[in-house]
Order: sequence, then structure tokens, then C-alpha cells
Amino acid sequence: MKGPLAHSLRSPKVLIALSMIFCIATCAIFAGAVAPHEPGEQNLLAILTPPEWMPGGDPNYPLGTDSLGRCVLSRLIYGARTAMLVAFFASLGAMIIGSVLAHISGYFGGAVDWVIGRLVDIWMSFPPVILSLILMVGLGIGLGKVILAIILVDWTRFCRVLRSEVLVVTRHEYVAAARLLGFTHRQTIVREVLPATLPLLITLLSLEMAIAVVVEAILSFVGLGVSADQPAWGQMIADARQYVYQSPSNLLLPIAAICFTVMAFNLLGDGLRRSLDVRLMETGH
Amino acid sequence: MAAALQACDLVVDARIGDALVPVIRDLSFELQAGKILGLIGESGAGKSMVGRAVAQLLPQGFAITAGALFFEGKDLLKMPPAHRRFLLGRAIGFIPQAPLTALNPVLTIGAQFDEHLARLGCTSSRERRQSAVAMLEAARLPRPSDLLRCYPHQLSGGMCQRVLIAMAFASDPRLVIADEPTTALDVTLHAPIIRLIADMQRRHRTAVLFITHDLRLAAQICDDVIVMYAGRAVESGPARAVLSNPAHPYTRCLQLANPSMQGDCRALYVMPEQMPSLRQLAGMSGCHFAPRCPLAMEDCQRVAPPDQTIAPGRRAACLHVATTPSIAAKAPAAMAASAAARPVLALEGVHKRYIVRAGLLGTARIVTAVKNASFSIRENEFVALVGESGSGKSTIARLLVGLEQPDAGRILLNGEDVGSASARNHDLRTKSLQMVFQDPYSALNPRRRIASIVTQAMEAGSRHADWDQRLARTRDLLAEVGLPSDLATRFPHQLSGGQRQRINIARALCTLPTVLIADEIVSGLDVSIQAQLLNLLARLRAELGFAMLFISHDLSAVRFLCSRVLVMYRGEIVEEGPTETVFADPRHSHTRALVSSVPPDNPEAPWPAFDVAQPTV
Ligand SMILES: Nc1ncnc2c1ncn2[C@@H]1O[C@H](COP(=O)(O)OP(=O)(O)OP(=O)(O)O)[C@@H](O)[C@H]1O
Ligand code: SF4
Ligand SMILES: [Mg+2]
Repeated sequence: MKGPLAHSLRSPKVLIALSMIFCIATCAIFAGAVAPHEPGEQNLLAILTPPEWMPGGDPNYPLGTDSLGRCVLSRLIYGARTAMLVAFFASLGAMIIGSVLAHISGYFGGAVDWVIGRLVDIWMSFPPVILSLILMVGLGIGLGKVILAIILVDWTRFCRVLRSEVLVVTRHEYVAAARLLGFTHRQTIVREVLPATLPLLITLLSLEMAIAVVVEAILSFVGLGVSADQPAWGQMIADARQYVYQSPSNLLLPIAAICFTVMAFNLLGDGLRRSLDVRLMETGH
Repeated sequence: MAAALQACDLVVDARIGDALVPVIRDLSFELQAGKILGLIGESGAGKSMVGRAVAQLLPQGFAITAGALFFEGKDLLKMPPAHRRFLLGRAIGFIPQAPLTALNPVLTIGAQFDEHLARLGCTSSRERRQSAVAMLEAARLPRPSDLLRCYPHQLSGGMCQRVLIAMAFASDPRLVIADEPTTALDVTLHAPIIRLIADMQRRHRTAVLFITHDLRLAAQICDDVIVMYAGRAVESGPARAVLSNPAHPYTRCLQLANPSMQGDCRALYVMPEQMPSLRQLAGMSGCHFAPRCPLAMEDCQRVAPPDQTIAPGRRAACLHVATTPSIAAKAPAAMAASAAARPVLALEGVHKRYIVRAGLLGTARIVTAVKNASFSIRENEFVALVGESGSGKSTIARLLVGLEQPDAGRILLNGEDVGSASARNHDLRTKSLQMVFQDPYSALNPRRRIASIVTQAMEAGSRHADWDQRLARTRDLLAEVGLPSDLATRFPHQLSGGQRQRINIARALCTLPTVLIADEIVSGLDVSIQAQLLNLLARLRAELGFAMLFISHDLSAVRFLCSRVLVMYRGEIVEEGPTETVFADPRHSHTRALVSSVPPDNPEAPWPAFDVAQPTV
């Protein structure tokens, strides 16, 4: 039997998603090398130039420039960096908090479970976007703050879904058996329960990355995201709104970038969920 | 008059990959009206497939490819489907194995009964209600009119099965197919349910096709039996004649694999290996029982034995029928050195209550699972704990190993109280107490390899045994439980149920515990696998020396293994004593009910529980 993760690499969905993510990640990491210009570099002589292939396009600016004469392509590429940083750290943080609490809650049950369950209930009664906006107003803007806000809002998603999975796994007699063989609670959770919940955890993680990209875009759009000197897709959309008739591509390109990224993560999550399905694994298929 | 059900050279094929494998081969039988025909054999013999062929409910990929099935002279396979559907459920009734899953959970019993009667063509709803009440009464269910308003989950398993029996007989069928009707029920319910089926059968003069794996039961209630092995009828004839004097080696081996309730304790006969799977069957020639047959000779591998008549009304498919009686019972099992006087484990006045809340806002109800339980287990002693389901047996096991804590009383391990949940008590317990879990599927982590499972104790706490040490220990343990060492690198799902249960035992033995708690570890396994495990435990006790609390509802297994028995009833230990004494002269009414629920070994002997009128359950 191959590991479930190795097995999932044979799914075409997962492969397509991974190559899409690889493209975005490469842009994000090597933004300095890939982008033709600095993202903040302004050329006031060439504002709102259309993309290169359109009449009046400038080969210097393959996707045109914005209202301040900044290279749209370069801003998209640096924006990917922002989006990926947020997606990665925010979902990782939310996953760590959410899954630790989920495992504690589902494994121990009883009063601990009740307290954590109520906490999640209360937390989830706030609409997530509103909650993150309030948090941003409170925390102030900046990359770190965006990540923190998303973590604080979205850990509940992990907690709720994982807890029921942990509950199911914990009912297996092999978990009780591990305790009787002398495993400590921590050992039992880490070595017996976690491997069984890991596929779901990874799936949730990739879905959460898609959510984080959207939330970051919304926050930047309303100006409560990363600081103004840091390029972000949401900001680009907000800027392009006013000139949508002169230069519609400036609005469409960052929207397309967001859609592409979200689709990649969703596709990955969906593909993983299908190929990592534990119930299928256990019957030996 | 034509037979109620007649099969002529019936063949059911399964498509495995590209090949067609016969699941049932050349099966012929005749079931006369008013008679009971038993189909017996181990799991996978194809017993259920016969019932499903009659009902035309074969699984995907299975089909009847040859032969004929006649119901009262009419060919079931050739008649128009509409006509056949008309017969099924009316002239032919079914009693399923799992009563709870056979009833719709969201409809009341009354609604389901009404629907069933409406389908049978009863148009007046008042009449339907009256006959439902009458049928439930006939099934000896108390207060039938109240019962009609209940939902299935409000009834016990036994009551559900009675409802289903009432439904099956409601249409006054001429044939009823009962597939293991008692397997999912509590032992104490077996006799009453069987009695009810026999009763209804006599009253309606119905023919019954009775599918079971219990030879003793078949001997008591069937007129004729067919013993099946790997899809073939290997022996058939009058029930008592076949079972008191088996002609086929398989029937004989099955009988000797069953622990007896009377006479000396003998070692159980162990057939090697298992019934071939469909995949293995595809490539087999000659006698399919040959790999496990103690009488197999060279010709058995080549020639498929023909089905011969060996006496009037009796047939067997074996080339060496004459030598079957030479398969002898084994010498009495070597009983381990007598138990020492020192108690290793003791319970003193232990109480355990659970608070059960019905629904979200329902009032809390206190359920006393264990009431004032006191007993002790001495070194090297095997003690049995028996009782009906829900009597608190598993709670005692969970208390002993520390998965639950007692509300009152003490649990003494080597004289020290280890009842509370402190870390020190946990350490003390894991050192000398181990548990073998009931369900061999859920008890093994599907993500660990066998070697990692059996030596899991070696990575517990602050222990870090290196992999070589663990592999060496795995080899020893696998050898001890009689498994080949190449299983070490497999995953649990690559093992059979019997092999998994051995792994389960091996894991508990890894740290050489002094007491083993075994909760129903042989239930749900086939007779031959159960025999292997019981023999294994007897041998391990002699070799390694440990005490065991053996929780089981199978009294013959208890008698084989344990010298002392505790009987539990509604949370209390109501009787205790040496196994022989308790079984021969039960004092408490519940013990009597348990003991009488086992059909006698001797097929000719009467079974009091089956005849005597007893209160309904
Ligand atoms: N749905 C199915 N798909 C594939 N194979 C099946 C299916 N049901 C049964 N089989 C196979 O058909 C053969 C006969 O099965 P059957 O259920 O008739 O056995 P049985 O004698 O009733 O056993 P048991 O005592 O466990 O009920 C077995 O080899 C079994 O593995
Ligand atoms: S034919 Fe041979 S192998 Fe088959 S049951 Fe008879 S003696 Fe055994
Ligand atoms: Mg069956």
C-alpha cells in the first residue's frame, strides 16, 4: 500500500492544481527576477497605457500601466507575493489553532469539549467578513495584521469540521488500545488519531488558502488590508474602478488573478478530498 | 403434491474480473410443505446466496446461469417477472438476519405493518389493524395495540425480530426463508425466537428454509439439512441422522471444532486454513475441501467427488466416505497448572453509574451499569464472565483496565488500589493488565503495519525500542500466536478476521501481562477460527502463564476455557462458582435461562428450552 499522499498525486485534478499553484508560487517567490519593473515605480508620462497588443500599447509595459503609470504586470506579480504570503501563513495559523483545539475537544470529550464547542459557536455567530473588518479596524493595517485577522476569524472552521472527524476516529478501539499499552494522551493523539485526521486536515488547509486569498483581496479593496505601498490585488481592483472605461483591463486582470488562484486551491482541495478519502483507504481500495 | 421449493442443479455464477466463478454449484434439494430444511456451513459457504437466489436479490455481478428453481411446481426463473413479484412477499416470506436494519426507523411499527398488509391486498384499514394486532399477539408480543405506535428503536432486538416474524407470516405464506434469524440477537433470545418460528411454521404448515451456522440448533429444529462448503452441498439428509453420524469429513470436522457442553473437555479439532475465497476457487480442481481435509489423499486433488447416495435419503460428496468416522476427537486439552491461591486482581463492592440524557432537553436518567460487584481472579486462573447483553460485562472490563473509573468500591491489582485515574495507577495497570478487544476490525490501526501494531507497547511512554528489537519481538509473538512471520510487514486490511484477532492477542501479550481481559473475542468468528483461537489461548496459558477474565456469551467456549464462572444480570453478579457446578446445577433463574439456551450436543436429546412454554421476552 502506498501512502495516501503519494496516491493522491495520481489524480489529474491534484496535478493540474499543483501546477497552477506552482506558477503562482514561482511568481511570488521570484517576483524580483520575473517582474519587468519595480512595483512602485511610476512613469507619469505613460499612465493608463493599454496592454502591449492593443493599439497604443507599449512593449515596455506588457499589460499596460495604471493611473499612476505603474507596470500592471509587475504589480500583479508582486501582488501574488502578498496573496501567497497571506494564504500560506494565515491558513497555517488557523489550521494550527483549529486543529489543536479540535483534537483536544474530540479526544477528551466531556467538559473540555463542551467549552470549546460553545466558544466555536459564539465565534461563528459573527459573519466572518464583518468580523475581519472589525478586527482590521482594531488592529490597524499591514501584512501581519491581515494574517492575524484571518487566523482569528477562520480557526473555527478547522475546529468544527475536524472535531467530528476526531470523534469518529477516537471511537475506534485501537485508540483505547494505545492508551492501555502505555501511551500518554499526547502520544495517543499524535500517533494514533492525527494520522487518521491528516488527510482531512490537508484538504481543509488547501480550501482555507483559497478563502484567505479572497479575504485578503476584500480587505485590501476597502483599504483595510496591507499597507498602501505594498501591491495587492484587491487594491489594484479598487484603483482601477475609477478608470474602468479608459482601461477595463486594469480591472479585469487582478480579478482574473484572484479567480485563477482561488480555483487552483479549490481544485487541489477537491482533488485531495476525493483521493485521500479515509473511508476508501480503510477498505483497501 | 409438488414440493414447496425444489432446486435442480442450480448454479449461481459471480463475475470476478473476466472469469465466471461458481458461487453455488449444482445444488439440488427438495423442501416439502410443512418441513424445515436447514442450510449449514461456515461463513462464505454460499448459504445466504441460496436464499437470495430464491428472492432474486443477487448482488451485482451474480447471476443464476443454469438449473431451475421450482416453487410448488412452477419454475420461478421462467415465470413472468410480474408473477414472481406477486409470489415474493406473499406466498414466499423472508425473515432477515439483522432485525433492526430491516425495519424503517422513521415509521411506526403500525405504519409498517399496515403498509405490508395493504400490499398484500387487504383494503379495509380496520381489518388491517385488527389482523396486525392478531399477528403480533400470535408472535407473543405483549400489548400489541400499544406496540403499533412505537418506533423500531423503542423496541429491543428480540421484539423487532418478533415483529418481522409476524410480518413474514402475515400473508400465510407457503414458504419462509429465514437467514440466521437469531445471530444478531442475545443468546437468551435464541430459544424463544426459534420456538416462535417453529410454532408459526407448524400452525401455518409453512415450509421453512432455515439458514444457520449452528449445527446443534439445526439438529434440533430441522427435518433435513444440507451442509454447504465453498458453494457445494457436501452432505445432505435427515438432520438428526446427519449430525449424529456425519458422513462427510467437513461435517465431522465442524462438529469436533465445537466445544461441547457435556462430558470431558477435549481439545478442539482445528481445520487448517480457511474456506477458499471466490478468487481462490477459480483456480481449484478436485475436491475443494482437500486443502483442509484430514483424510485427503492424492486422488482428491484430481477428481471432483461426485454426490453419491450413501444411505436411503442421505448423500455425500466425498471419495472416502467410509473413513470419515476415523476422524477422532483429540485427547483432552492439557489444562494448565492449577491456579495459585494468591489473587492478582480483585473488585470490592464496585459501583458504576452512567447519566443518560434522552434528547437535548430530556431529563437525565441514571443507569446503574454495575452494582456492588466483588470478585477476584487468582494467578493463572481463567475466569468467565457471562450474562445477557447490557448486563454490564463490558463495563466491568472497562473499569478493570481503567477506561472508566468506579463511583464506589475498590479495584485491587496485586493488593494495591488502582481504581482512580491517576498517572501512577495508569502505569501500574499497563504493566500487568492488558485487554484484547472485541472487534478485530476496529481494534487495529489501519495505518500501522503488523510489526508496529504488535510491538506498539515498545514505543509507549518514554520507551524507545529500536526497530531491530521490535522486529525480533514481532517474530516471537507471531510465532506464539501461530502466524507466519512474513505477516510482519502487512497492513491489517490484508489479514482475515481470524488472523486479525490473533494479532490483537499478540499485541496484548507483548509486555507479558499477568492478567488478560478478553471481551467477546471469539464471537462473530467462524467455528473453525473460534476453535483455533480457543486452542491458542489454552496453549498460551500453559506456556506463558497468565490469568484471564473471559467475557463471552458462548457457554460452550466458556466451559472449554474457564474453570470458574461469574454470571451477571442487570449489573449484579448473581452467581459464581466452578464452571461445571454452575452449568450442571444453575441456581439463579438467569443462569438457568442462559444454560438452557444452548441446544444439547447430542442431536437426539431433547432441548427443554425449545419445547417448554416460557414467558415471552
Ligand atoms: N455482495 C457481494 N459481492 C461479492 N461477493 C459476495 C457478495 N456477497 C457474498 N459474496 C461472496 O459469495 C460467497 C458466498 O457468500 P454467502 O453470503 O452466500 O455466504 P454465507 O454462507 O451466507 O456466509 P455467512 O455465514 O457469513 O452469512 C462468498 O465467497 C462471499 O465472499
Ligand atoms: S474427497 Fe478427499 S479431500 Fe474431499 S472431503 Fe473426501 S477425503 Fe476429503
Ligand atoms: Mg449469510
